[in-house]
Amino acid sequence: MGKPPIFRLFSLLLIFTLLFTACAPAAAPAADGGAPAEEAAAEGDSAEAAPPPATGGEASAPDDGAVQIPEIEEGKFNVAFVYVGPVGDGGWTYAHNEGREYVETEMGDEVHTAYLESVPEGADAERVIRNLARNGFNAIFTTSFGYMDPTETVAEEFPDTYFVHVSGFKSNGANFGNLFGAMESMKYLVGMIAGARAAADGSNRVGYVAPFPIAEVIRHANAAALGMRQTCPDCQLDIRWIFTWFDPDLERQAAESLIEAGASVVVTGADTPGPVQVAGEKGVYGVGYDSRNACDVDPEHCLTTPYWNWGPIYAQIISSMMDGSYVGGDQYFDVDSGGLGLLGFMDGQEPMAGVPEEVIPQVQELLSQMQAGEFTRFDVFTGPINNNKGEEVVPAGESLTQSDLEGIDADLGATLGRDGCTFCMSWLAEGIVPDAEIPQ
Amino acid sequence: MSTNPAFEMRNISKRFPGVLANDNVSFAAAKGEIHALLGENGAGKSTLMSVLCGLYRPDGGELLIDGAPVDFRSPRDAIRAGVGMVYQHFMLAPSQTVTENVMLGLRDTPFVLNTPQLAAEVEKIGAQFHLPVDPHAMIWQLSVGEQQRVEIIKMLYRGANILILDEPTAVLTPPEIEGFFRTLREMAAAGKTIVFISHKLDEVLSIADRITILRGGKWVDTVANANLTKATLASMMVGREVLFRLDKTPHQPGAAQLALSQVQALDDKRLPALRKLSLTVHAGEIVGVAGVAGNGQRELAEVIAGIRPVTGGAIAVTGQDVTHAPPLARIQAGVAYVPEDRSATGSAPDLSVAENLALRAFRKAPLAGRFVLKRQLMQQQAQKLIAQFGIATPSPQTPSRKLSGGNLQKLILAREISSQPQVLVAAYPTRGLDIGATEYVRKVLLEEREKGVAILLLSEDLEEIFALADRIAVIFEGQIVGDLPANTADLETVGLLMAGEQVEA
Amino acid sequence: MTSQTTRSANPTVSRVRLERRLEQPRWLQIMSPIILLGVALLFGAVLLRMVGANPWAVYSRMAGLAFGDAYGWSDTTLKATPLILAGLGVSLAFRMRLWNIGAEGQLFIGAWFATGVALHLLPETTPQPLMLLVMAVAGFVGGALWGGIPGVLKARLNVNEIITSLMLNYVAIFWNNYFIYGPWSQRGFGLSPQFPRTAWLPRFTDYAEQFPFLRGITAHFGIFLALILAIVLWWVLRQTKWGFEIRVLGDNPQAANYAGINIVRNTVLIMMLSGGLAGLAGMSEVAGVVHRLQERFSPGYGFTAIIVAWLAKLNPLAIVLVSYLFAGLLVGGDAIQPAGIAQMLQGVILFVMVGGEMLLQYRVRFGQV
Repeated sequence: MGKPPIFRLFSLLLIFTLLFTACAPAAAPAADGGAPAEEAAAEGDSAEAAPPPATGGEASAPDDGAVQIPEIEEGKFNVAFVYVGPVGDGGWTYAHNEGREYVETEMGDEVHTAYLESVPEGADAERVIRNLARNGFNAIFTTSFGYMDPTETVAEEFPDTYFVHVSGFKSNGANFGNLFGAMESMKYLVGMIAGARAAADGSNRVGYVAPFPIAEVIRHANAAALGMRQTCPDCQLDIRWIFTWFDPDLERQAAESLIEAGASVVVTGADTPGPVQVAGEKGVYGVGYDSRNACDVDPEHCLTTPYWNWGPIYAQIISSMMDGSYVGGDQYFDVDSGGLGLLGFMDGQEPMAGVPEEVIPQVQELLSQMQAGEFTRFDVFTGPINNNKGEEVVPAGESLTQSDLEGIDADLGATLGRDGCTFCMSWLAEGIVPDAEIPQ
Repeated sequence: MSTNPAFEMRNISKRFPGVLANDNVSFAAAKGEIHALLGENGAGKSTLMSVLCGLYRPDGGELLIDGAPVDFRSPRDAIRAGVGMVYQHFMLAPSQTVTENVMLGLRDTPFVLNTPQLAAEVEKIGAQFHLPVDPHAMIWQLSVGEQQRVEIIKMLYRGANILILDEPTAVLTPPEIEGFFRTLREMAAAGKTIVFISHKLDEVLSIADRITILRGGKWVDTVANANLTKATLASMMVGREVLFRLDKTPHQPGAAQLALSQVQALDDKRLPALRKLSLTVHAGEIVGVAGVAGNGQRELAEVIAGIRPVTGGAIAVTGQDVTHAPPLARIQAGVAYVPEDRSATGSAPDLSVAENLALRAFRKAPLAGRFVLKRQLMQQQAQKLIAQFGIATPSPQTPSRKLSGGNLQKLILAREISSQPQVLVAAYPTRGLDIGATEYVRKVLLEEREKGVAILLLSEDLEEIFALADRIAVIFEGQIVGDLPANTADLETVGLLMAGEQVEA
Repeated sequence: MTSQTTRSANPTVSRVRLERRLEQPRWLQIMSPIILLGVALLFGAVLLRMVGANPWAVYSRMAGLAFGDAYGWSDTTLKATPLILAGLGVSLAFRMRLWNIGAEGQLFIGAWFATGVALHLLPETTPQPLMLLVMAVAGFVGGALWGGIPGVLKARLNVNEIITSLMLNYVAIFWNNYFIYGPWSQRGFGLSPQFPRTAWLPRFTDYAEQFPFLRGITAHFGIFLALILAIVLWWVLRQTKWGFEIRVLGDNPQAANYAGINIVRNTVLIMMLSGGLAGLAGMSEVAGVVHRLQERFSPGYGFTAIIVAWLAKLNPLAIVLVSYLFAGLLVGGDAIQPAGIAQMLQGVILFVMVGGEMLLQYRVRFGQV
């Protein structure tokens, strides 16, 4: 009568229930939402918690866990943001959410914003985006590469709604545009700082945590390598591919491996500040990415963080939508737009303790040139540039084009109505360890 | 034996969904008394005793121990009050030693165990009551009889003054039963009260001081064991007259339908269980296999049914070799098997009675076409068999797990016999059945014999074997050590053969 | 046997105790999912209140998103389709007490096979019905192979299928990742090129030209496949000889062996069918929804299917209902942000439903003297 196996299965099932909820859509830690925000208003997010300070006390917890139901507010211009990670990731998504909060603060009288976080790429994204459009949002920002096709699909169905896709390359010349920025310029400066540090440490080795072998990541790593060689001609940039944007564990492991291989500075290109933390634990230096609070985990061992400052960019785009002047195209902003930052070197910031004295003026000088629009991403990638095997890739006097930077080949260029690349971003620049390869 | 009641149960009632298991039953036993509780299966014996040992709480009535009212909430409470029960299914941890099992579940088990001291106590209790067991042996090494001793020692060690034994002799061989009865008498002499649950009349008559009979959940009578006969007890149990003799036509064997030659097989522990066993059963005869439990009976039945692989020798059914044929081929060759374990092997408990009845015949017309089952016909077939074999079930749709042991056995017999087999292997077909059901099963076996079926009967009940069998094959350590005509065999010879003695037949 | 009652563990509290039900009354069997859902929603409401949300607003929006209009039904159907298919697969194995935990991997391999057909085996110009048929067969075969591995290991060597099928999930996912970042990758991203249109399962919205009300109904014809298979499976288990064998095997393998039912063959067969159904779920996802192979195209459908199958008590028709309920829960998750709260809510509802199912096998008794 008694059926012990059935009962054992029940326990198994309970475990699976937990497993299911733990790893359901995307590997998103549910912890942030768990903090009870007593004062949070039940209807929408009008009672927004104040945006966290640029450099705050504790780790990466932005305690804005205000509960919201993503709905439009009548009479306002409604903007929705679709995030790939949790807003508490302390990185990529956090930076976008900061941008959203900026819009809410600056334009709150006329604009209402909402967001959906941890939306898996693919089918779920399409559903979410379509529902937002259907529910009457005027503009929808989708902030991950994998949202490109779903955004395009839905943009076709809803011609009266604006769609902006971040980090892709598609647009339709009307209501659907893409948006990205010249983070490579900041990575170049990062390279200079990291090189100086590695030279001062005598390790002559910098590590780079690289998420995916795609043009964007290769471009950033190359820029860092080129910058590094400016301040430390003997330095080498070691690299680890982790094939994920967001995996705290893998990011940490990659950093550990880089440090074990001799790097005294670890630069991360992935979404969490884990590598900075690891660097601190090992007594070396780290460089964060994405959001301005990435150094908070260990300010003593963090040299800087190149970060996205989406707020002003978003505000400008939303304004142009509201006055009807927005046309969806390829929008690629440079440092002079104010959309990019380098922690410790922007107005009102002090360089972090670990940055070697002698490099500070150099960085400040180049940064002010960038901010003035005198030094752009194309200047970062100007020949002669050799690859990491010592062969020339870009001859002297040549600069990469936008298509080169984005690795848009002739075929794809044809479908997009652009020229294809000649020096396609499929090589590793000199300074990167010679045996490094781009994984196939 | 004194006259002070060691315990007294007054007007106990216990209801289960749909059944009134105990209806106003009163029952008492004195210190130093061996009191038998007699009744057919389903008479309410086990329920009543479960109330006494704290497993169930009664819906009505009261319970007194040594004259004081008690309210047991768990078996633990009962043990504290000196009531211990030895179940049919032992509750021992097989990979622990005897001593460890005795300690197991003790209320005040100290953190650091004084095993040697405990082992000495186990030995002492064993010596006092003729319960010889090696305190350091692992449970799995022990025979069933020895395991039973461990259970009793466990209860005695916990200070039980009232011992309830649920059908204790079902697992014992005749010589073991002798020794066991001596133990019971010793314990009674030492002032313990013993409640002996049984439905075996001989045993009850030979050991009990008084006998209480239950029938259908109600108390029938409590009688002193003097001038009682089996017949009177049986009629009290069943509520009518019972015949103990079976009418049998003369033995007229036909062709050899089942032939085993030099068969070898392993048991579940992968040790040799059958050692070159040879045996033949002819059409129209019943061969009874007598033996002490664990001498290869189970394996013998299973190799014939094809559910245990043969490691040597050959098996033939109606002349065809089936040595390595799968169970399905045996079924098609005409082998029917009434397994020892009705619920674990013989039936699918959550499937309906009708489906269980079709377990053999579902493949062929009329119950099935090429792929599809004919549920309608299955239903009709089931109704026919239920009526024919008198299976008590609310409906053919009832899950078979709801049937009582006797009815489940009838179901299995009905299924196996309705397949019109050439060879029928019946393993312990009446074990645990009450008198009425036993009578019926025996009758059916004899009918099949009349029809010319070759029947191999495995039984622990020598009386049954003598009553039914035409030939008696004695099994010992995986071999047939004696093959005697039943009408000339005597109990003593068979007993000696079972014990492994060499006997000139 | 021994499990008829629970012993009261606490001797001081005498009045109330839990007792194992000997029989679940029929009304309880039918009503239990509804009661449990109610209790689960109540728990969820308390949780929502604690984080400062209005439970009513959240629930009504969740229900609206999932079932409020045709679009909601479409979205829910989209999620229910793979759950039904994988759930049927899981339930089939569970019926035989083969604990196939590998539906997720089988789903991925099914998708991989279907992708191979769409992108590499058949030319773009293949007629759509043929293309889809071959993809479906390939998806089924792929899943069946993946499910067959633990099946064979179990049947022949008695290797625990829970462990093998679970581990094969990871192998399948890595296998997929290798291809979408390597040989089948589109420009190094974690996705394959898009399938040709002939390899897309028709969606309702594709017929918007003729039937304008279908515009925006993105659910695809995979749901028909799922529903048909649910009915077929239900019928097969109930009405065929083979279905009967499976039920006997599931109820008591020893009795099945005794009745001449081939355990080894059925074990392999069932694991393959179970995997094949999960493989079809994968095919229907890539052909109907994502139209390419990509990383994490399944947000754990294969795992969710286990819970679905269980809550449906392995009944194929109930699986359809439970899948819809579940899909609604997933779709409705967009109703509240941050996503952590939605996930917590889903977790609580699930936990209460699964755990409560167990508790309903007991009843509370008020002791009398």
